[in-house]
Amino acid sequence: MELNVTKDRCLALTAQAESTAAQPVSAPDPALLTGPHAALKLGLGGFKKVCRLEEDTPCPFPGLPSGFLEMRVKEGSKIRNLMGFAMARMQGGGGGDGDGRQGSGLRQVVFTGSGRAVTKTITCVEIMKRKMGGLHQVTKLRYKGVREVWGSDEGGGSEMTVHRTVPSISILLSKDQLDPQEPGYQPPETHGTLWEEGDGLESPQDPGKRALRLTDLSGQPQSKRVCLQGGSSVE
Amino acid sequence: MAEPRSPVSATVPQTPMGLAPPEGAVVEMDPVEYTLRKRLPRKLPKRRNDVYVNMKTDFKAQLARCQKLLDGTAGHREICIHGLGLAINRAINIALQLQAASQGALQLAANTSTVELVDDLEPEDPDEAGEPLTRTRNNSAIHIKVFYPNPQ
Repeated sequence: MELNVTKDRCLALTAQAESTAAQPVSAPDPALLTGPHAALKLGLGGFKKVCRLEEDTPCPFPGLPSGFLEMRVKEGSKIRNLMGFAMARMQGGGGGDGDGRQGSGLRQVVFTGSGRAVTKTITCVEIMKRKMGGLHQVTKLRYKGVREVWGSDEGGGSEMTVHRTVPSISILLSKDQLDPQEPGYQPPETHGTLWEEGDGLESPQDPGKRALRLTDLSGQPQSKRVCLQGGSSVE
Repeated sequence: MAEPRSPVSATVPQTPMGLAPPEGAVVEMDPVEYTLRKRLPRKLPKRRNDVYVNMKTDFKAQLARCQKLLDGTAGHREICIHGLGLAINRAINIALQLQAASQGALQLAANTSTVELVDDLEPEDPDEAGEPLTRTRNNSAIHIKVFYPNPQ
């Protein structure tokens, strides 16, 4: 974590920021991943995020033939926009009917997203898998460096750069067979089966036992939730 | 009409003005008020080395739990971290933290899936003729296998 404060009026902040940065951080600390945001917002009302630059990282899928489509999913991206574009490219210009789907259209697409866009990235992939079918998938996780510039809205001049690491996900979807030995590989048409069986489940569980435990589980939290949401209504 | 916000009581003159419970905006969407109750995701396979990450428990506690599973006395060669919806981020974070703490000894293999969730809509007022409804929706989930490669 690195902080460059350009003006002296942020002294209080520097002290605060350094105290967090002083922790032994060999690996990015979990508290730092979410912490600075809140701390900065609270401690320094008046600072706003000016811009957010993602650092360039090499493609997580080496050896991918050129001409694949890369979709960078951002926090504010609309799923319909992303999917409209990606589906059109994968199915080819003709709209994807009959063997036109095989002939035209791209063979691979990579969805990447970091931070709060991770969930959206996965959702896009799941939608595409459901719509197209027969797609091989490889999922990669890693940390990504993000440089954020925060500026004060009052003074105008003061600015500061924060370097953070956020989790990011890259998912490759391919119409062609991929290496099944690759960590994170998923064959086509596994909808729904993963959650029930778990990947690499060694011993099948006794269904009766599982059901019993489920009822135990479902009793408690539900009644709790009723109390919590008692007053709320659907709007 | 003196009161601009009560189109309902205008059509039903018997109801005293002040008591008209549903406001215009609500009535347009839903004649009866419902309580939205989310059911738990169904069928959770639970082995010793399965960890379901949620957003209620403290992050560090969940990270420590995973770490313990990996290097405790019953040290597992692999654990499975599951995250649903908002907890996906946290699941990824935990997995990456474990990997970073192991100095690269651990490997990650992530899979994604879709989970069907069921919401119950229960009428707020039992007198009104609202039937209990259910609504299904999908949410994304991630399953991360955290493992030591080539086990001996």
